[in-house]
Amino acid sequence: MFPWVDGFHWTATHIIFLSLFFSAILIILSTLVRGIWRAYSDFRAHRATAMCWRENFIALPEADRRCRHQLAGRVDFRTCDNAFDCRGCPNYANFAELPASPPTGSAGVSFSNKLLYHRGHTWVRPEEDGSYTIGLDEFAQCLVGRPDSVKLPTQCEDIESEGIAWRMTKHGHEIRVRAPLTGTVVSTGGPDKGWYLKILPYGPVNLRHLLSGPEVAGWLAAETQRLQLQLCSSDAGPCLADGGTLLPDLMDAEPNADWDTVLGSTFLDS
Amino acid sequence: MSETILLDRRWIARGAERSSTLHFLLWLAPWVFLLLLGIYAAGLCFYYGLNQTNMDNRFAFGMWIFLDLSVIAMGAGAFFTGFLVYILKQNDLKPMLNSAVVIGLTCYSGAVAVLMVDVGQPLRAWFTFWYPNTHSMLTEVTFCISCYLLVLILEYIPVLLRNRQLRKIPSFLIFEHQFHKLVPVLAGVGTFLSFFHQGSLGGLYGVLRGRPFAYRQGFAIWPSTFFLFILSALAVGPSFLMLVVATAEKITGRQLVQQGVFRKLGFISGVLLALYIAAKAVDTYIWLNFTSPALGFGPVDFYSYWPLSSTFLFIATVPLGLFPAILFVVPRTARHRGLLLLAAVLTCGGVLLNRFVMTVQTLALPTLPFDEFLKYTPSWQEVATFGGVIAYGVIVYSLSYRYLPLFEAPKGEDKHVSLG
Repeated sequence: MFPWVDGFHWTATHIIFLSLFFSAILIILSTLVRGIWRAYSDFRAHRATAMCWRENFIALPEADRRCRHQLAGRVDFRTCDNAFDCRGCPNYANFAELPASPPTGSAGVSFSNKLLYHRGHTWVRPEEDGSYTIGLDEFAQCLVGRPDSVKLPTQCEDIESEGIAWRMTKHGHEIRVRAPLTGTVVSTGGPDKGWYLKILPYGPVNLRHLLSGPEVAGWLAAETQRLQLQLCSSDAGPCLADGGTLLPDLMDAEPNADWDTVLGSTFLDS
Repeated sequence: MSETILLDRRWIARGAERSSTLHFLLWLAPWVFLLLLGIYAAGLCFYYGLNQTNMDNRFAFGMWIFLDLSVIAMGAGAFFTGFLVYILKQNDLKPMLNSAVVIGLTCYSGAVAVLMVDVGQPLRAWFTFWYPNTHSMLTEVTFCISCYLLVLILEYIPVLLRNRQLRKIPSFLIFEHQFHKLVPVLAGVGTFLSFFHQGSLGGLYGVLRGRPFAYRQGFAIWPSTFFLFILSALAVGPSFLMLVVATAEKITGRQLVQQGVFRKLGFISGVLLALYIAAKAVDTYIWLNFTSPALGFGPVDFYSYWPLSSTFLFIATVPLGLFPAILFVVPRTARHRGLLLLAAVLTCGGVLLNRFVMTVQTLALPTLPFDEFLKYTPSWQEVATFGGVIAYGVIVYSLSYRYLPLFEAPKGEDKHVSLG
């Protein structure tokens, strides 16, 4: 194999054969090293969370990727191709000027016009001291009820927008809640306190990616509709839409439903 | 029990419909038994040596080499599908890619595992790399298969890392994301390596001057069997891939890929099969009329021994060659799923028969006046090891189907959202 190994001959056959072999090995190994290096570079440049989220986003069904302007009734149909990050959307301003016409019926859950909502079912409330309080919205609370366990980040820990903010378990299902903002955790709450985290953003904050006003009504109505479809039994016949409101502790009330799928869709975790 | 089921569900992609844990375990049980039996038989061969087989110095190639040649031909779907998708940009075949990689990986790793038993001295297997005989076709085969197995392992990694639990680990997901972009490079290297080792497996027989049944003339250093093996592997690879996916569809009761994908693979398989049959006919004509008589042998010397008579040649060429090629290529028959799968079965059968003939018949036929027609029956250890490889393939494919997104169209660059 090598000139110093017994049996090696300086012949054309040896040189050509071994050169081809070593070239192939070199290409294979350099490809592997290149892949590892690129991944390492992404981590060093803090692109990992954004990339992980985008991988999740493209795995979402089209129905779950509706643009906020469709939810607000400003356009008939528009799918987001910007990973729900309206801050970088070039068409945002054009659509935002259009008049909103959200669905008139009940969304099934209540929401506050003072809060901003993230598609992963968290709300954000700006505080006077510059921090932001984050909690689970009513839709998620109705679903999960009281979680069996909650694993919150520690104080001073950094969380990144669309990364995992905290984890909960319920009936053996792991629920990963996405962070609506980037910042440092200054305080932690829990299910009993009505909020989960207080965070202090690094610098100036742009909240344009969060839903507000008429968009929330349209979004929650769509989410309720999705939930109804996911929870209805496969042998159910044609049904009329029943409207109504969500009951609390749905996971306890419907233990045999496909909660794995429901939780994945709700918390944007493919 | 319910915790086990929940644990099992956690590893299955969200929204994917899979059989219950109990059903899956029941499905695996006989294959695991067969695999364990195969491992035991291989262990006997390692411990006691090759006297556990019915091979001897005259019949040095047996069931295991037949298995190796066959599974490596069947596994050709991996490199060929990669070549079609990444190099020729046949994107409609993308849903088949992951499946092709798993099939290729199991075929090649199974073949290498059996070769390790077959060489009799596995601890010295590295000699073939360290002291290569560069004039030997077998050396080329060993080098290329080893390298290509490495390629297949690397191609399998992105598929594996898309498992639901593994993709939760950011470093895995990022590596998968980045490595996926580099897979076309591996597909190119894989094509190069496969082209040569598929050919060299055929060349291995074609250079046997002392075995007139196998000896062929050819081009430069390559006998005609070099090119025939490449062509036949290219033809059977897509057929076998199609058969495996169709079997998975039948067992799971779900449509996994569009019928159009089958038709396209069938058409490719059919055209290549027709080319192979034409080349084989020309090769056989030259061999029977020129090459073989020059060595003092005529057709009667090869085809007068039952059961390896000329019927084999006819069966391998017409019902298992020309007929499926027609079924694949003629639009009317190609539209019919049943006929398409029948053609795939026949194609695989034809290539299996060809590999059997090249391995067993070549060694069985007498070459000297005092020689007799040799008979060989594999020992149970050989059969069990053979079965173990099949079971290993079924188990790996079943696990991959259950826990990995095997039929999700792999991401194209267009599907990745660009990072601003």
